[in-house]
Amino acid sequence: MTMNFGYSVNQPRAINLDRNDLSPAAALVALEASVRTCIECGSCTATCTAGALTDFNFHKLHHLLLKGEYDHVREQTGKCMLCGKCRLVCPRGINTRNLILAIKKVLP
Amino acid sequence: MKWFDPFVIPFLTGVIALFSIVVYKWVKWFRQLSPGDRGKVRRGVFTKKSLASVGEVFRESLLHLKIFKVNPVLGYMHSSLALGWFLLIVFGFAETAYYLRTLSAPPQAHIFFKYFEPSHSGGFFPFMMDLLLLYVLSGVLLAYFKRIRSSALGVKKPTKHTPGDRIALWSLWLIFPLRLLAESATSGAYGTGGFLTGSLGAWMATFLPVDKIAYPLWWAYSVVLMAFFFSMPFSRYMHIFTEVPLIFLRRWGVLTSDESEGFAQFQLNACSRCGICIDPCQMQSAAGVDKVQSVYFLRDVRYDKITDEVSDNCMMCGRCEVRCPVGLDLNALRLKQKTRSRNADATARYGYLAEAAAAAQPGSKVGYFAGCMTLLTPAITRSMHKIFEASGDHVWWADRDDGVCCGRPLKLSGERDAAQRLIDFNKELFVKNGITTLVTSCPICLKVFNEDYDLQGITVLHHSQYINDLIRREKLRPVKTDTVYAYHDPCELGRGSGIYETPREVVASAGVLATQTADKEHALCCGGSVANTRLTSAQQNAIGEDAVAQLTASGAEAIVTGCPLCKKSLGRNSHVPVLDLAEVIFP
Repeated sequence: MTMNFGYSVNQPRAINLDRNDLSPAAALVALEASVRTCIECGSCTATCTAGALTDFNFHKLHHLLLKGEYDHVREQTGKCMLCGKCRLVCPRGINTRNLILAIKKVLP
Repeated sequence: MKWFDPFVIPFLTGVIALFSIVVYKWVKWFRQLSPGDRGKVRRGVFTKKSLASVGEVFRESLLHLKIFKVNPVLGYMHSSLALGWFLLIVFGFAETAYYLRTLSAPPQAHIFFKYFEPSHSGGFFPFMMDLLLLYVLSGVLLAYFKRIRSSALGVKKPTKHTPGDRIALWSLWLIFPLRLLAESATSGAYGTGGFLTGSLGAWMATFLPVDKIAYPLWWAYSVVLMAFFFSMPFSRYMHIFTEVPLIFLRRWGVLTSDESEGFAQFQLNACSRCGICIDPCQMQSAAGVDKVQSVYFLRDVRYDKITDEVSDNCMMCGRCEVRCPVGLDLNALRLKQKTRSRNADATARYGYLAEAAAAAQPGSKVGYFAGCMTLLTPAITRSMHKIFEASGDHVWWADRDDGVCCGRPLKLSGERDAAQRLIDFNKELFVKNGITTLVTSCPICLKVFNEDYDLQGITVLHHSQYINDLIRREKLRPVKTDTVYAYHDPCELGRGSGIYETPREVVASAGVLATQTADKEHALCCGGSVANTRLTSAQQNAIGEDAVAQLTASGAEAIVTGCPLCKKSLGRNSHVPVLDLAEVIFP
């Protein structure tokens, strides 16, 4: 029997940067250098076609990628429909679609 | 032994090697055709299609009429080399047959006839052979000149050659001058020859020991022929033999497909690397990207050196495809390569689609699929809303909330199986809602609906077609103004779907169309193409800016287009308003 206490316990969300291998992330950033200019405005996520249907979140994906949390990135990338709305609204002109394609090549 | 001298050995070796390699390659590629394609060949051989192919071979492989349309001097250069050489072989054969009264002389007897039978002069054949040699030499001279100043022959940026191409090119350039010198020296020594070789030989004889230099010249001629024949199957000149079966295969109905490798091989090898595809490429002219054009893409695929960097870096706008004198399926070949590189099983992807609520509104006969890009362009959806109200149709908006992408961007990136998941989802949605007409304001969606959805019983319309129909039925009465609009053909709507006139009629009903230089099948790309995943935003903008400058050159007050992505890409680089045609009808 589960008891409803009216609240739940979150999974620990700490990222251990000493344990994560950041070289695949560095390789990806080298492949699509425009991601360096991200200002984390979240426009990509606000317009995302896949994001309207799921928890897919390009902004979060990008953030976790740079921190070496590849399991999340791998799991999420497949949800993208490559429609390109994020690229069109990005105020920094980041080539989001190329990053998605590069992730699939670098993180199999 | 008659018809033999050691100097014919290089030539004979070359001929045997050349034809063995060509036949080996043809057989290999033919076996790589899919069973369906081979069926098309069997059914097509004994039909009028084969006759039509013979005509096309004459027009395109020999006369090169399509290159004449690009530039007359360039066309003359190519046809003089192709037709001229072909006629030299034909007349050379006739000449030997006439003098020797036999049809069974070996090949070297025809090629080196002057050496073996130097005494003939005057009459029809020596004259014709000299005339044809002069015709070919004029083309060779133009080819030299093209290397120095290509722009004089209508080519702004010529192709960069591979080392193999250079060997073939240099030997080709030497063949005919050496033939001229060898024949002239022999003619000079014997006091024979036609108007060209005879006169040149007589003049050479005044200051040269022509009887001594003739023999080494024949050797040199034979050696460069060998060099050309050996390098030919591995260089751009493989196109000479490959274009012929390609023309037949195409007429018999064989198409570029992911399943068949053979037809792609015929196409890759039929590319002559003329470089006509380079100049129309806006990535080259406006953004300085110069290693990815179709000529280089096909070369890299042919020699197995292709990288994603090259195959992805193309807007697939199709401007080069309409210019290609060989008529290669440049977009389809590019897509085939991308699919080979990137397609992966997608059964585990898009599980979330199963839960996506289909916004069903049964009862509507007309469905509207705005498309992702239109959803980012509220001005278009606002106008479309007003147009639908005026139409009296009860319209179901398929992708207003929680819409799913049409699948074309995934398909264009090479992820065919993933695209199919989205296609299946949307198709089921359309069918479930029982619509009979599907309107979209995005040409990217339009193209995939028409090509990959197999929507039986549903008429797919671009909104320009829908609006034009409403105007004809007087459901819409646009107010005619004297505003001058430059109409921009979206790639996927114009070259992609062949819709050029309908949107122009719609725009003309509310304004005046400006004249343009790059129009219809030669229309420019906006730079924002979803097919390209490599261009930086700065490069996209450079292309967009250049397109805007050309579109407004004749003084248009606004640019009108029929694609939300074009509107965005041009709009951010334009000094004049960029409108969708729906906005022109209902602002």
